[in-house]
Amino acid sequence: MKSAPTLRQEQTADRIARQITARLSEGEALLPYEITERLRASREQAVSIRRREASVLRVQTSTAASAQGNTLTLGNPDEGNGWWRTLVSAIPVFALIAGLVIYNSDTEQSMLSEVTEVDTALLTDDLPPAAYSDPGFIQYLKTSAATPTEH
Amino acid sequence: MATEQELSAFLKDVEKRAFKRSVFHVRDEEAALDIVQDSMLKLAQHYGDKPVNELPMLFQRILSNSTLDWFRRQKTQKAVFTHFSDLESSVDGDSDFDWLETYATNGDASAASNAESLTERKQTLQSIEKEIQELPARQREAFLMRYWEEMDVAETAAAMGCSEGSVKTHCFRAIQTLSKALKAKGIEL
Repeated sequence: MKSAPTLRQEQTADRIARQITARLSEGEALLPYEITERLRASREQAVSIRRREASVLRVQTSTAASAQGNTLTLGNPDEGNGWWRTLVSAIPVFALIAGLVIYNSDTEQSMLSEVTEVDTALLTDDLPPAAYSDPGFIQYLKTSAATPTEH
Repeated sequence: MATEQELSAFLKDVEKRAFKRSVFHVRDEEAALDIVQDSMLKLAQHYGDKPVNELPMLFQRILSNSTLDWFRRQKTQKAVFTHFSDLESSVDGDSDFDWLETYATNGDASAASNAESLTERKQTLQSIEKEIQELPARQREAFLMRYWEEMDVAETAAAMGCSEGSVKTHCFRAIQTLSKALKAKGIEL
């Protein structure tokens, strides 16, 4: 029947193990030059891979941050609701056109009203409109306007 | 998130141990180099953005999985499971404890090291590596992660996908086996 090692036996075994591995560690320095050089080359290759991976990670992080910045500041035109943004952008143009139409209509209405008033005044006056084409009557009006009326 | 410099420093710290561990597993230096390279690339590519303190365990898992993938590619999965089945082998606990007691050295390790010549140290290292290579796969993995990679029991269990109790058992048996084998060769640590 096997029995578990005592604490003292474990400590003894531990000491022997460390003496053995100390000898093994001394042997590390005795490795041939060719072996150590190949190990160095492998190490440098691994570090270069690490460097490349790190640079790729930095680029990805930078791209992600930039994309996020666009979204937050300017918005991304490729994302949905393009037709809505176009519609909203056209509102000022529509407002300008509507304003011009209204202004034009109002101006025409005003001119028509003035012409209508003149026509109405001519037609409703006691004098017939043909009187204004009579040279004698024109002369009378000039004379009347130059001579002030006495009250 | 680990920086390039932190990743580079981490890989520099673990690459040699990772290579040796892979050699212990696959017993082929070229394959071990490929496995370590593959593991490094996977770590950098997929987990380079993880915190630096998570890298050790992630790398150990990737290294283990890459080693298993290598075995699968080599169609030697059966051999791996043969190693795993070794875990079921019975161990006479009490007698092994005695091995540990007699093998443990209490002297100053650095003083002993100073007395050794470089050649002797290399021979000792080779003997230790050979014995580690002979360990069952799971015991070796647990032992190396726990003591060489200095991971704690919980981290080792997480990396190996087993319980903490299993890690302790694997480690203890590995140490018993190693201490016996090194003692038999007359190697003093």
